[in-house]
Amino acid sequence: MNPRQDRSAIFAIAVASMSMLSTPYAFAQSSVIDQVTPVTDEMLRNPPDGDWLMWRRTYDGWGYSPLDQINKDNVKDLQLAWAWAMTPGGRTQETPLAHDGVIYIQNSDHTIQALDGATGELIWEYRHELPEGVNPNGVRNKAIYGNKLIVATRDAHLLALDTKSGQLIWEQEVADHAQKFAFSSGPIVADGVVIQGATGCGGGQPGGCFFTGHDVETGAELWRVHTIARGDTPEGNSWNGIPLEARYGGSAWIAGSYDAEQNLILAGVGQPYPWIAEMNGLLPKSADPNVTNDALYTNATLAIVPKTGELKWYHQYLPNDSLDLDYVYERILVDLPVNGQDRKQVVTVGKTGIIESIDRTTAEWLWHRETVPQNVVLSIDPATGAKTINPDTIPRIGETTFNCPADPGGKAWQAVSYSPRTQTMYLPLAEFCSNTTPQPLDQGERYTGGGRATFARVNVPDGDGKVGRVDAVRLTDLSTLWSYRQRPPITSSTLPTAGGVVFAGSLDRHFLAFDDESGDILRRSPKLSNSLESFPITYTSGGKQYVAITANFASGLGRLASLTPEVKLPTNNPITLFVFALPD
Amino acid sequence: MADRSTIGRRALLPLMLAGFCAALAPLQPLRAQEPEFFDVPYAKEQWNYGRRLDESQLRFCVDGQDPDWEISAEIGQALALALLLEPVPHVVRRETVIEDITVIYETMLQHCDVFLGFKLIPEGYQDWLTLTRPYYAARYDFVTLDPALGSLGDLARDRPIGAKMGTMAFLSLVFYRSAVPAGERWPLFPMGSNEQALDALAGGRVDVALVWAPTLWAGQRAGSLPATLRRIDPAPLAPASIPVGAVLLSDETFLRTALDEAIAALGADGTIAGILARFDFPAEVMP
Repeated sequence: MNPRQDRSAIFAIAVASMSMLSTPYAFAQSSVIDQVTPVTDEMLRNPPDGDWLMWRRTYDGWGYSPLDQINKDNVKDLQLAWAWAMTPGGRTQETPLAHDGVIYIQNSDHTIQALDGATGELIWEYRHELPEGVNPNGVRNKAIYGNKLIVATRDAHLLALDTKSGQLIWEQEVADHAQKFAFSSGPIVADGVVIQGATGCGGGQPGGCFFTGHDVETGAELWRVHTIARGDTPEGNSWNGIPLEARYGGSAWIAGSYDAEQNLILAGVGQPYPWIAEMNGLLPKSADPNVTNDALYTNATLAIVPKTGELKWYHQYLPNDSLDLDYVYERILVDLPVNGQDRKQVVTVGKTGIIESIDRTTAEWLWHRETVPQNVVLSIDPATGAKTINPDTIPRIGETTFNCPADPGGKAWQAVSYSPRTQTMYLPLAEFCSNTTPQPLDQGERYTGGGRATFARVNVPDGDGKVGRVDAVRLTDLSTLWSYRQRPPITSSTLPTAGGVVFAGSLDRHFLAFDDESGDILRRSPKLSNSLESFPITYTSGGKQYVAITANFASGLGRLASLTPEVKLPTNNPITLFVFALPD
Repeated sequence: MADRSTIGRRALLPLMLAGFCAALAPLQPLRAQEPEFFDVPYAKEQWNYGRRLDESQLRFCVDGQDPDWEISAEIGQALALALLLEPVPHVVRRETVIEDITVIYETMLQHCDVFLGFKLIPEGYQDWLTLTRPYYAARYDFVTLDPALGSLGDLARDRPIGAKMGTMAFLSLVFYRSAVPAGERWPLFPMGSNEQALDALAGGRVDVALVWAPTLWAGQRAGSLPATLRRIDPAPLAPASIPVGAVLLSDETFLRTALDEAIAALGADGTIAGILARFDFPAEVMP
């Protein structure tokens, strides 16, 4: 065979192989796709008002939209603009992205779709085949950079798809799904680097989870930051004398924020695995004076340089967490005064529901503010943030402890948001407690029960039975602007807008719109198809503002459904993207 | 953090361990668990699976990664024959190291009326599964390469033990360690799998490994373990074992009852004991 034929044969094999692995479908072309422009670094730093280019819209993690076409006066007139049935099966905690009037969604089975934001017409779709044994549970967020839609998968791959055509540009296998590594959240792109966090690292894989940085043009891995400290350092010696091969967890399952001024990624890390400290070896505390049992860098903020992966600093909120009360969630970057002095803050809320702030230039502890009823943290040192944990709440093998809150958290993965309009943080919260009993892990030889404890969830003692809550906390003085409470859990993140509206979804299938200053409900949608457990966004297409939310039972705070048995949800979990707009 | 060691507790350890074992059963009736995020079973197009009409077969599954899968397969065959059904075995073969149990849901819809080889942990399963009675109980063994050790009690208190984390035996060991004074606790390194614990032992990173006996058996059978590896007496801890049986989807109540009766009969007539003996398998038939 001559060289030309060889090259033709090789090319044909490559094309055929790509066809077998990925088959993009081209449908009737919408003109809106032709208008899609490359996303630049400047656009990511200062997104167009009508775009939603990353998980929380902007690098600072605010989840706030400057759109005001929909406002307090007219939100009651919102109508369904269109709906799209997402692929059935599994669950999703979807955040759609919007750019130049095109909506990008990732279905639970990893069918990636581009839709006309005004009409809901399908423009293109791409299917990433999940291997056998990987459940289709979706991925929380995606990223756009240049002409690339960058998507993470449950089998620990990163993909870059052309935003206009859906064609695969590159694909990287970052970790082995057979070793139980996975991605449940997607990436953030900063300084030309794709930063991605891994989860599933409790599946018998020693050494724990990690963040990786990838070249945005090729997907090649540039660096890896392990979330479990190692080596003969104070941090490495914080695991109670357990060797690295016996350290697990530190899941990086939520995307971070980006401080463009300092050029730092600020991201959270989860707890050790298994959660019960007596099981993971962190209790009882070692008598060796050279070790601690803080288990760094679990339950910490990591400050990482995007280009190099250098860990600049960290702050740990909850050492030796044995209650699955991890501090992994979104990091809100605000510049607000503390005690009369301007401070550059990074604010986060752990599952305890305690709002905590540190200085993001010095890692200095600043303040905290409690929200939901909790009995885990007895006190917080105002100078250092060090917590005194209630010893009666620490789970012990052979005993049942009473914890408020417990897994999934008084504040769960449903993100808080911050509005510069009101200088207020809007928190989706849950009030509940749990009788927690550690359980053996191994049912089959290699099958596990998932949770490391039985959580028999109950209402807060002497409470009124209400579980769902949205708090508006002013970050300038930590006062409560308003607090809304209802019986069914609030199951979506909050979405404040310049129109003075805060949107949130509920287990009982209502999409709520609050007055951002008073907390009055301005609109309660009719019951939609399912629980609203996802991240709502708002965007424009053709100059018109739309609000989108995905309906499905994604567990998370939906796990509290047992506390509200009167809320009935459909079987087989239909998943639907709903998009609302004002009438023309 | 609270430290539970107190003077005098060591003398009461045997009583406390007995109490611990009883305490592993729930202390109070627990509300039925709501589904966790990964605990709700899922199967592709699961709404397409109807009721099977061919009831002359017993489709049973075993996991090819389980060390005892051949024994489970033999028991499955015997159960089918005892029920006058045609045995239809299916060996699940996947490379994943550890999986959430919900992944067996699709397997069961597609291939199995019953899935053998599951540890019967009290209250350890979600509502969508039901358990048979046990067909045998298998041990957890302390093993070592040190010829000087006759029992666990011979191990110096500053020498580490590696153990597959979260097993019933592991919890028993944790409970013991928590009850003795801090200076008398063996370092305990939790391992993700029995294989990792044995690897740590072979590599000299631990002095004793606590592993499930069937894993040990399979490794010795395959010749993958050091020849000098041997069991030691678990004293001062009590021997630990766990009953093993099968799981079915929770709506298979009639079949579950029939299987329980068949297991009892095969246990009584020596069939299961014969299977165990033929393989020289470290387990005992449950009465």
